[in-house]
Amino acid sequence: MKPTVEQLENLLALKRDERPEEGYWQDFLCEFHQRQREQAAKESGVSALFQRFSQWLSDLGPSKWAYGAGLAYAAVTVAFFLSPKGVDVEKAPAAPVNYQVVPTPAPAVEQLDQLDLSPSTQGSAGEQVF
Amino acid sequence: MFRQSRPPDPDQDLVTRARQGDTRAFDALILKYGDKLYGLVYNMTNHKEDTHDLLQEIFARAYQSLGSFRGNSTFYTWIYQIAVNLTLNFLKKRKRRAGLSLNDPESSVQQDPALVDHTHEANPEQQTRLKELQVKLNEAMQKLSEPHRMVVTMFDIQGMSHGEIAKVLKTSEGTVRSRLHYAHLQLQSALQDSWNERF
Repeated sequence: MKPTVEQLENLLALKRDERPEEGYWQDFLCEFHQRQREQAAKESGVSALFQRFSQWLSDLGPSKWAYGAGLAYAAVTVAFFLSPKGVDVEKAPAAPVNYQVVPTPAPAVEQLDQLDLSPSTQGSAGEQVF
Repeated sequence: MFRQSRPPDPDQDLVTRARQGDTRAFDALILKYGDKLYGLVYNMTNHKEDTHDLLQEIFARAYQSLGSFRGNSTFYTWIYQIAVNLTLNFLKKRKRRAGLSLNDPESSVQQDPALVDHTHEANPEQQTRLKELQVKLNEAMQKLSEPHRMVVTMFDIQGMSHGEIAKVLKTSEGTVRSRLHYAHLQLQSALQDSWNERF
């Protein structure tokens, strides 16, 4: 058998009376003040600035992404304008070429009109005569 | 059109003094709301040391952020929201670490001396039966998802209204009711066997 919702609620309501043991809050307060003093000592350093910034970011909620995107955009823009515009690079003088191209004489070509292509003669290439 | 007037924050004076650096005023706020926040965090984490560390963090965060508290809600609602957010973040991290499985509650939780039930001291037999049942209930609670456990803790254990829960969780009352209904069904099923044995 399942408990009814009312029975369940009554059972859960008993947990309202649960409390930490006696003296807990006195110890808690001592530790709290100790931590606050340590925190205050830390905050005098440079890290405090960063911690506050990150705290501020986390407190922003969902809009932190918009701020983050804006900051990233600004950082990229600043980096773009601050980066060197390009160094003049001297062109290296072209090395003289010591190699001279000597034209070789083209092989003699037998002129077609000087060839005897008449059917009475036998071709020099051994072609058949009909 | 008339603006609906809100009742004044009962902690206005303490908050103002704490803002001005009066640590005793903030101590008074810790003592005033400590038990409530302890109940919330403990029922969510089921771990004594984690609860202690989280409460330190919650009150430290509230103390540091007092300057940004604009009084749009009461101090209690404001610090309760801080507690809910930090607890849910902590549970997410703990899940990721996977060092502690939520399906495997700590053995110390079941008989935690840190939490003392003052209701049934006069009847030891009934107290024993109830304790056994509450062990089962704690186990069943840990099997609920975090949003469902949060709603059960706030409604059934802390006694908050649907509207208050919706405001703290920044959701609709319908969602709160729906989560509560589903969580109750889960808990009823989980307690089925134990309930048969006991009652």
